[in-house]
Amino acid sequence: MTVLAVAVKYLRGRFVPSGLTVLSVALGVTLLVASLLLTRSIREGFIEGTTDYGLVVGAKGSPTQLVLNVVFRMDLPTPNIVYSTYRRLLDDARVEVAVPVALGDAYQGFRYVATTGAYFAASPWRRRVFVISGGRFFQDDALEQPTYEAVLGAEAARRTGLRVGDRFYEGEEQAEYPLTVVGILRPSGGADDRTIFFSLPTYWQMNEVSRKMKIKPLTAILVRAKRMSDLPGLHRGLNVATETQAVFPSAVLLDIFNLLSAAEEVLTAILATVAFIVLLYLFVSLYSATLERKREIATMRALGARRSTILAIVLWESCALATLGGAAGILGGHGAAHLATSWLASRGGLVTNRFPFSTLEPMALGAVILLGALAGLLPAVLAYRTEVAENLAPLS
Amino acid sequence: MTSASFAVALRGVQKSFPLGRGGLLEALNVAEWALPAGRSTILTGPSGSGKTTLLNLIAGVSVPDAGTITVGDTDIVTLPEGRRDVFRARHIGYVFQTFNLLSAFTALENVMLAMMFASTIAKREQRRRAAEILVRLGLGGRLSHKPQHLSRGEQQRVAIARALANHPPLVLADEPCASLDADTAREVLAEFLTVCREDGATLLMVSHDEAALGAGDQVVDVTGINRRSHRVSAGERG
Repeated sequence: MTVLAVAVKYLRGRFVPSGLTVLSVALGVTLLVASLLLTRSIREGFIEGTTDYGLVVGAKGSPTQLVLNVVFRMDLPTPNIVYSTYRRLLDDARVEVAVPVALGDAYQGFRYVATTGAYFAASPWRRRVFVISGGRFFQDDALEQPTYEAVLGAEAARRTGLRVGDRFYEGEEQAEYPLTVVGILRPSGGADDRTIFFSLPTYWQMNEVSRKMKIKPLTAILVRAKRMSDLPGLHRGLNVATETQAVFPSAVLLDIFNLLSAAEEVLTAILATVAFIVLLYLFVSLYSATLERKREIATMRALGARRSTILAIVLWESCALATLGGAAGILGGHGAAHLATSWLASRGGLVTNRFPFSTLEPMALGAVILLGALAGLLPAVLAYRTEVAENLAPLS
Repeated sequence: MTSASFAVALRGVQKSFPLGRGGLLEALNVAEWALPAGRSTILTGPSGSGKTTLLNLIAGVSVPDAGTITVGDTDIVTLPEGRRDVFRARHIGYVFQTFNLLSAFTALENVMLAMMFASTIAKREQRRRAAEILVRLGLGGRLSHKPQHLSRGEQQRVAIARALANHPPLVLADEPCASLDADTAREVLAEFLTVCREDGATLLMVSHDEAALGAGDQVVDVTGINRRSHRVSAGERG
């Protein structure tokens, strides 16, 4: 028999109170871990969406609206720019990649995005990878011969029930230009999951206004410069023009993070309160357990247990409760974060769904055990100071 | 220390307890008293005459205000508390009136607990030794039972087994049969005395039971050795 075995026996002897204490610690840690993972996931979701391209070029207006609309499919669409802007950028020696994007209507709430194959092209510098789970990508067709082929984001396909080969359109005015599903993307955890993609010629032909326009419209152009040092020059040149603005998505990202940081501070305060309540519960649980068994503690002392042994038993109990609750909480937090990100992603939230275990988890568990030991310290001292003779008096 | 040479000796032992208003109640004042080694001594006396206080002082769970208490060759009063705890675990067995078994532990584990505190028996040996002594007290079929699933007589047998687990040279018992019915008390007492004799332990047992008075080697009335004044100190008068 060891001190640890005695502590475990006591915990098992108080199975229901011990179980409830473990549950409260686990729920508290779950909330903490899930919140931290979700916060990180949302930040990474924003970063992932904005870091592939150095510039977003669109019509004059709000830079935040442009980035939110073009990259994250949020907010209202910005006015159009002309296709020739895209041609000029393609010919610019400083530009490595330029991707035209036109945002149109929606099918059952899933936004239409017209672009080219370059939007999906894999590249070493890209954080986002597009993989087809079924079918193929649409063809970059000629202006005069649109193919009306569509590729659906995973969530758009799941929610609309469309499959490869299905034809669809939204509203009677579109009935003349039905789209055919040729491919479905794997989930990527971003706004693209809720998007229906097709070619620019298809878009121009489907849209009554653009059909009549000689110079075709675009919503924006995503630009990657060959060198970072070229970005300021490109940015300046596009902003000097009367029709266009160029936006650094990273700058908009900082604005978004600044907005989020206020919410994060509130969240941190709430989480700190939760942690305090959980520790208080652990303390009360151990304190009442110690008060309940003062006679047993006195008996152990009369049998020869040293004060330090009694102290160690109570500390082991608090550490064991914290360890079980902490481990369950970390696992629960990961599970909850997975569920929450899946739910958020299915509703157009910008999240990543990768939560690998790292050195953070053992450190978090260590912190929980340390705090558990601290919560158990006062009950342990109470047990340590238990007077033997007065607690051994026969019960009346 | 061997059981053959073991004895308890008290010299000038005084113990008082605090009362309200800073006063003190003198509970024990023993000029000199010795307990013969290897024998059973039954301690009697009216309620409040200092019997339990005397047992607690000899066990080292309380410390006298003055005087020396020698258990074997060791003056337990001058020992630091930690060493006194270890000494108690290894050399003194204590049986309580209300058994005081630990409710979360089985009969076997209650006995092993005493061995754990003494740290004189290897961990792998503890289980076997604990089972051995419980079997000796007729509890072979109750090893894995928790106290609440044992009869009162069985509970007190487990308490006796726990007190004797480390083969202590000195066993103290505070009215061990007071909570039992007459038949069970007689039965448990007989087993207790037999086991103590077989182990050669010195036994000091507080009891008012007629059967116990007749079974011990000697009977001592605590009022004969406790010369307390029955008065409270000046703090109370003031």
